[in-house]
Amino acid sequence: TKWSLVCESRSASGQHTCSAGVCIRETALISLSFGGAIGLMFLMLGCALPIYNQYWPLFVLFFYILSPIPYCIARRLVDDTDAMSNACKELAIFLTTGIVVSAFGLPIVFARAHLIEWGACALVLTGNTVIFATILGFFLVFGSNDDFSWQQW
Amino acid sequence: MSGFLEGLRCSECIDWGEKRNTIASIAAGVLFFTGWWIIIDAAIICPTMEEFNHSYHACGVIATITFLMINAVSNGQVRGDSYSEGCLGQTGACIWLFIGFMLAFGSLIASMWILFGGYVAKEKAIVYSGIAVFFQNAFIFFGGLVFKFGLTEALWQ
Repeated sequence: TKWSLVCESRSASGQHTCSAGVCIRETALISLSFGGAIGLMFLMLGCALPIYNQYWPLFVLFFYILSPIPYCIARRLVDDTDAMSNACKELAIFLTTGIVVSAFGLPIVFARAHLIEWGACALVLTGNTVIFATILGFFLVFGSNDDFSWQQW
Repeated sequence: MSGFLEGLRCSECIDWGEKRNTIASIAAGVLFFTGWWIIIDAAIICPTMEEFNHSYHACGVIATITFLMINAVSNGQVRGDSYSEGCLGQTGACIWLFIGFMLAFGSLIASMWILFGGYVAKEKAIVYSGIAVFFQNAFIFFGGLVFKFGLTEALWQ
């Protein structure tokens, strides 16, 4: 059937999850990318609106890029990906939480130091929430593979 | 009357099963990094030395070092039932942990001393930085405790 061919060409591991003719992975990918776009939109609104016009909040992009890295490194280093707990994974979760807290703390510190307005801070925090929810959703949907290999990328 | 508190038992409603390690590391991460952001905020709001003597940062640095010291040694190494002994052995692990906890308690007590001796007793107008030093060290201390005692090694096998 047509939809099974479409699904098989998308998932490299050969497993396709399709229901009602729509690939769940495709739907998840599209909705996650929409979420990412909305989050970045909030961030850019917080910087570029004429009443704010301060580009300091763009520093949180640094934290967005850093946040998946500890978990990805831990997944690569740990041999047994089925084990639920492992010291490396706990350390990665600890560092990831720290990066998320820092991405929320930085706009608040900017606003208290009067570098940006509190309205811009609120927009940036909203964008943070959406982006981190998107990254979490990405890992929940695409991360839990039996053989997590970089060839899939 | 005697039975109304039975419905409030929460030890069963939290699923402490496989998620315990994840929840403990998330809680420890939030506490630790919130502590550091509090002191970053105080250092930015009060840039002069008379509002916030920047040598008080040493307290938080020592607290962070003790966090790393305490969590570098697992409970199994201290009990002696881990396979590899590490470079210090079991006694060395005990001493390392002892010094780590001593410095951790010391930095917490030092932060209280800074707050009360440096700010409250001198009746400074702006007490915020003293409160920030205290909360930084308290958060880092409790984050270290949660990370140390919240992770169960039973889930690692």
